Amino acid sequence: MSVTDPQPPAPDPRADAAQEALRDRIAADSLTTRRDYLRIVATVSGGLAVGGVAVASGILHRHGDSEGAPEPKKVADRIEPGESLAFRYPGDEDRAIAVRMDDGTLAGYSAVCTHLACAVLWRKERGSEGELYCPCHEGIFDARTGEVTAGPPPRGLPKVILIEQVDGSVWAIGTARSGESLVEGFCRQNGDDRPGCPGFGAGGPAGPAPKTAERSERT
Amino acid sequence: MSETPFPRDPGAPEAAGAAPEPPRPPAYTPGSAQPRLNRPVHERYPQIRPTSGYGDPRIRHTGPGPGAGTEQEPERSSKLSARLTLALTVVIGQLWGLTIVVDEWMAGDTGTAWWGAGFLVLSFLVVLGIWLVDPKDR
Repeated sequence: MSVTDPQPPAPDPRADAAQEALRDRIAADSLTTRRDYLRIVATVSGGLAVGGVAVASGILHRHGDSEGAPEPKKVADRIEPGESLAFRYPGDEDRAIAVRMDDGTLAGYSAVCTHLACAVLWRKERGSEGELYCPCHEGIFDARTGEVTAGPPPRGLPKVILIEQVDGSVWAIGTARSGESLVEGFCRQNGDDRPGCPGFGAGGPAGPAPKTAERSERT
Repeated sequence: MSETPFPRDPGAPEAAGAAPEPPRPPAYTPGSAQPRLNRPVHERYPQIRPTSGYGDPRIRHTGPGPGAGTEQEPERSSKLSARLTLALTVVIGQLWGLTIVVDEWMAGDTGTAWWGAGFLVLSFLVVLGIWLVDPKDR
């Protein structure tokens, strides 16, 4: 440093002390030892085990889980092609969406994304014939099958069984889980003795015919 | 000059009388027989900060020399690191297993979800064993 260089300003004692304290804090060793980490890891492991048992015993809510078969519910008087409708079925906490595609296909799904439970939206302009879209993490579901076509969701959307009556009104009559067909879901909820179910006519008096017999099912 | 090179600890128990025959060397046990000496360093010496000195800018040369203060039993340290690594690996497997359990339960496959829960409990027992495999280790 030459004599013409400006002298550095005198250090501020307060700033110096703060710097020293910061330096001390950074330089200090952690008092957490490997044995402590081992104990923490064992605790986390126990928590995961408890969580797994809780999940298997049913702590999480599944769409459509209810006591007995769900009651049919009128969803709308009419759904036009390209339109969608948000509703709740079978319970008030079971958010669902009904979609009428351009070719007239009527489909109903849970509106809760299987990734992190965001709301699933109908996007008519996306894809070749529209798709169900979760905006949180770009999850995309096929509007015809409910299966995942892109994004992080681990499984397809649970389904809501929709039927359309001759007057155009749309009714929800049951639910099906991810990966389950509509018939499987309907038979699981209403019993296997219904027409179309595996146990129909397999002995004993058959149950009453479903009220959907006179309706035109288009799902 | 005194008989012993080190000053006697006034808190130490009195030495027993001279044995008629040389005692056998005791088996190694970590730590001291006196609980007060097994307390953590920051309890025994509150003046010593966790940095053991090297964080103190006034200290330029620490310790008596090269090698001093290093691990006396490296194999014991290695075993501890290995146990920790194994336990962490098992916990990562548990995290994966929990995603499978949730997935199967939500898809309605309750039987598979219970198998997964059993896997998680078994993994926890393994971690517990890894943790408790050497309780004498200090």
